[in-house]
Amino acid sequence: MIDMILASQIFNVDLLAASIRLSTPIAIAAIGATICERSGVVNIAMEGIMIVGAFFALWFSALTGSPWIGLFAGLVFGGLYSLIHAWATVTLHLDHTVSGAVLNILALGITRYMMVLAYGHPGTSDSIPVTLANYRFAVPLLSDIPILGPSLFNQTPIVYIMFLLVIFFTWFMKKTKVGLHIKASGEHPYALETIGVSVYKIRYLGVIISGLLGGVAGAYLSIENQSTFTEGMTNGRGFIAMAAMISGGWTPIGAFLAALFFGFAEAFQLRLQISGAVSIPGEFFTIIPYVATLAAVAGLVRKSKAPKADGKDFIIEKED
Amino acid sequence: MVEKTRTTPVIAAGLALLVFFGGWFVVTGHGWGHLLILAAWGGYLVSAWLGIRKGSSAAPFHTPLLTSIMILLAVYGIVLYLGSYFWGAFLIIAALGVYALEKGLKDGKEILKESLKASLKNLMIPFFGFFSALIIGVFIMLATGYDPIESYAALFYGGLVKNWSVSILNATPLIFTGLSIAFAFQAGLFNIGAEGQYYVGAMAATFFGLYLNLPPLLTILLIILISGALAAAWNFVPALLKVKTGAHEVITTMMLAHTARYLSPVFIRTFGGDPATSTHAYVTDPILETSFLPRFKGFLPDTNYRLHIGILIAIGVALFVHYLLFKTRIGFEIRAVGQNPNAARAQGISIGKNIFRALLFAGFLAGLSGVVQVLGLDHKLFLNLSGGYGWNGISVALLAANNPIGVIFTALIWGILDAGGQYMIRVTDTPNSIVEIIKGIVLFLIVARYIYVYLGNRIKRRSLRRIEAKNAAGGRA
Amino acid sequence: MSPKEERNVVLETRHIAKQFPKVLANDDISITLYEGEILSLLGENGAGKSTLMNVLYGLYKPTSGKILLHGEEVEFSSPRDAISKGLGMVHQHFMLVDTLTVTENIILGAEPGRGGVIDYKKAREQVVAIAKKYGLRVDPDETIENLSVGLQQRVEILKALYRNAKILILDEPTAVLTPQEVDELFEVVKTLRNSGVSVIIITHKLEEVMEISDRCYILRRGRQEGERLTRGATKAELANLMVGRDVVLTVAKTPHTVAKDPIMQLEHVTVLNEKKVQALKDCSLDIHPGEIVGIAGVDGNGQSELAEVIMGLIPVESGRIMHEGEDVAKLSTRQRIFKNISYVPADRQEFGLVLPMTIAENIAIGYHEKMPYCRGLSLDYSYINRHAEELVASFDIRTSSALAPAGTLSGGNQQKVILAREFSREPTFLLVSQPTRGLDVGAIEYIHSQILAMRDRNVGILLISMELEEIFALADRIMVMYEGKIVKELDPEKTDEKEVGLYMTGGNA
Repeated sequence: MIDMILASQIFNVDLLAASIRLSTPIAIAAIGATICERSGVVNIAMEGIMIVGAFFALWFSALTGSPWIGLFAGLVFGGLYSLIHAWATVTLHLDHTVSGAVLNILALGITRYMMVLAYGHPGTSDSIPVTLANYRFAVPLLSDIPILGPSLFNQTPIVYIMFLLVIFFTWFMKKTKVGLHIKASGEHPYALETIGVSVYKIRYLGVIISGLLGGVAGAYLSIENQSTFTEGMTNGRGFIAMAAMISGGWTPIGAFLAALFFGFAEAFQLRLQISGAVSIPGEFFTIIPYVATLAAVAGLVRKSKAPKADGKDFIIEKED
Repeated sequence: MVEKTRTTPVIAAGLALLVFFGGWFVVTGHGWGHLLILAAWGGYLVSAWLGIRKGSSAAPFHTPLLTSIMILLAVYGIVLYLGSYFWGAFLIIAALGVYALEKGLKDGKEILKESLKASLKNLMIPFFGFFSALIIGVFIMLATGYDPIESYAALFYGGLVKNWSVSILNATPLIFTGLSIAFAFQAGLFNIGAEGQYYVGAMAATFFGLYLNLPPLLTILLIILISGALAAAWNFVPALLKVKTGAHEVITTMMLAHTARYLSPVFIRTFGGDPATSTHAYVTDPILETSFLPRFKGFLPDTNYRLHIGILIAIGVALFVHYLLFKTRIGFEIRAVGQNPNAARAQGISIGKNIFRALLFAGFLAGLSGVVQVLGLDHKLFLNLSGGYGWNGISVALLAANNPIGVIFTALIWGILDAGGQYMIRVTDTPNSIVEIIKGIVLFLIVARYIYVYLGNRIKRRSLRRIEAKNAAGGRA
Repeated sequence: MSPKEERNVVLETRHIAKQFPKVLANDDISITLYEGEILSLLGENGAGKSTLMNVLYGLYKPTSGKILLHGEEVEFSSPRDAISKGLGMVHQHFMLVDTLTVTENIILGAEPGRGGVIDYKKAREQVVAIAKKYGLRVDPDETIENLSVGLQQRVEILKALYRNAKILILDEPTAVLTPQEVDELFEVVKTLRNSGVSVIIITHKLEEVMEISDRCYILRRGRQEGERLTRGATKAELANLMVGRDVVLTVAKTPHTVAKDPIMQLEHVTVLNEKKVQALKDCSLDIHPGEIVGIAGVDGNGQSELAEVIMGLIPVESGRIMHEGEDVAKLSTRQRIFKNISYVPADRQEFGLVLPMTIAENIAIGYHEKMPYCRGLSLDYSYINRHAEELVASFDIRTSSALAPAGTLSGGNQQKVILAREFSREPTFLLVSQPTRGLDVGAIEYIHSQILAMRDRNVGILLISMELEEIFALADRIMVMYEGKIVKELDPEKTDEKEVGLYMTGGNA
């Protein structure tokens, strides 16, 4: 049993801060996946995109010495990698799930090969001296708010980027022309095509946004949360992000809140594991986030509705 | 009543048992097992003959005769070949010849020709994709400073010649996971978490292998059934959620795959024997010898000592899955649900029931992969036991277009590439992860079939434009 | 009056041809549209009308031929080009995003506002203004899924007008409307004409051509069969041109004695839909052997729930479903099928057939667990294929073999596969929903005669159709459905489409 003192050790301000930190990669990837699916393309390649982003972010950080360039590299390579998904699903009309699965597999091969090229061995890379965590800063005034202040506004850069992304994409989907087009493309692509907006372009855009964000999410893992790249370090977070997207009802805010829940599950299990409050093998705690994801998907999926044309191939008989 | 020109199920089951036990005695070193197999063959012929005599619409007698000869030749040929008696290949070729003869006699030359043409056509795209991927691999190697010719030579020499038995060993678990994923795909479900079911199967097999001490054949059968059932049960929650709430199986099976992966170290520590005496904290004790799968070495002395009969089980299971999918009403329902659940439901087929069937059986198949790996090759469970067989099973299934027979071949190709890659890294300095990239590209080029239409159209359009431009230029001149 | 000389030509096609991989959909089509006229394009399903319009609208590229707009040759590479040149199109299947509002749908792709941001206030004002100008009243803030079909069509027209369409193409505009809504639509179309918009109406309904249009072109099998001024043309003449032979506009229906005891009875059946709203409210019906009961109604008034509850695809909330005196409401779909209840679903590709499977497998499905089809666990494919070959022959299904995938067949032949499956099972009760949607006249004739033949073999038939013509051609009794209730029973001999239409929209209640 957990007594009161232990409880206060686990449930405190730091837990909230840790939850937000750990939810960051999931939230960013989930927002990307949300935009992608709103445009009508299912993207189970998030896992692969994240791992590619994580590798290149680290590698460029190591090469240039600047984690900011690394972050940019993660963004760019994530976007480039997602371009394959866009090409396969939109132009080549390949089943979205199949393409995503293939890209997840390919990503493992690419990162392993690059590891050998860059470090001479697969596995874990050398550690970089300066990570983005070194740029942690507190927002003046805001960080003085009790409880919420330190956990929300005394964070590392990508965490702030995550906050901005939530706000930006919520606004983007609600207020902008392209946001409206993305929504239409996922619900009724023909309605969009017949008034002269190219569904192909909008879907490419949706996928690329998910790629860019997936790359940033991956960069968070390798150059902010840690200082090394390890093969398979995403550990299913791409799929948890998809669960967050579904549980969040295909909205950026919802995705963020669901990701926060998963981040909380992870922070909670880590603290429980470290505290030694319960003497069972540590792995039982490690699986908590996965089981929590399962439970969330099980409980919430019925209420949230996917875009109508999500995952449906779009062909307008133009050429053949 | 329905006319019966074929053997009844009871007789068929009896003959199958006879073949099974005959085969078992052969592989455990009792040569007289051949007699049982031959007896089964004879029994089949007799029953076929009786059936034809009774039946009204008598099929010509040569069909059952040829079929049985073909099966006999194929089975013996494959076993001999795998046991390093390569002249067994002649038997396999002979079996193919008999198959062609039978089809020709039954359906006529035209259909034989057509099906040959069709299968050649179906092989075009895979062949082309494979070839293109190798060429892309050349460019990657050149760009990153490795010698492609030397690397490929090592890759194929290692995979096909030097370490061909490793290729087979690699392919065996892949066939099972590939079948698992292909089977679920036929029902429109993506069993992406086969890796998890693999772990469950392997853990269960290790557990029972450590503690179940019965006569060998019985032990193995029990372990296969119970462990497979436990792996199937691992998919129960995803199936239930899919049916009740519509939760997508990609996420649920994936989460359970990670769960199973993290449970395996706990399992190893709990059942791995005394930590004080155990030499390694990440390995269990070896399982009892009664639960080892027989090895080819036992009856064919020339073969590699590690090669076990798992590959034969895999081929047998693949054939069974093919039968189940394409010849039975269960497979029919599963395919109908996979291709159009609404229409299937309107015709009284329960979608939920078939989701359960598909996911549970897929779990069973993926579990078998772990079971066979433990009983046949490793004989213990260690950390990171799976070489990603669950994930690679996805590639194998996609590559085979979810055809169970195709899975055998795609798994073999993957096994060859893996074994070759391991050999390559030993004799050259090329990293074997180039193999992973080539595999990914092969997969992409074969799965994205539309790419050829797309490229074809582009080329056509370009040449049209060129002709138009030429005409315009000509007109002006 | 010789209008041709006086009026301006706004749109002209010259020798348009469109080749699809398998069919020549348009072959040498030249039409002319004058300013401020209503032009009809008459033809059967598959005659190439929609293809021609998609070519005009920039969705398809013509294989050869020219399009002239105000005498100038134009080439549309996408709908955007066509829209910018003043073309607007209302598609048969509405191009509206259900989850968005009326305003959002209207402005989609032409949003007002600086940069990338939408000025919703301005958008709303513009929509209100344009709706007022043409007298097309609709709530700009309502979500599309809450609008009736007629209002949705109005939004579609507004969408075109918002983009300053001077030429409006209406593709089968009346297919989903009630007679009253059709009248309203025609009023709107006339208003538009009077304000200078030229309208092209694509249709296969002769009455409409006669009623609304000034002039019409007739297409058949991708070719232009003629041009007529509506004034002075006769229905029979147009029909002849459209079908290429003399058509019997209705299938001969012989009187047939109806058995006294009903084969199928619905007693106070109530059904909830997905949103837990009552989709069927206290429905009672009885169908006797040897009669066809027609359910008339606007789409979405509970017809699909009626079909699904009879087949056991959705559960009853309350009430009984009696088949041959036995309550089947608790039985599974499979058990009902085995009780010789047959079902021809409305959407043949979605609910009727498994398209990638062979014709033979599609005929076996449902009965695949019954004896000659299977033996133990195995399916008896030699029987299944042989049986299918027989049905392919007797139902005249045009295919190379019974082993071809059902997806390779034309729509009419796909429907025949379903009929072959259901009718060969000797049903006692037959549920037929929209059996001829999207089919050409020949197929319609065939299917109608088959349904009547089933009636004459003493099968009780429930026919659900959105086409009043079909109901009148086949039904012995007409039941009108409105908002999940059966509001009226009518005798087809003693009523007309107008009266039925009135009940369909909740009038006379």
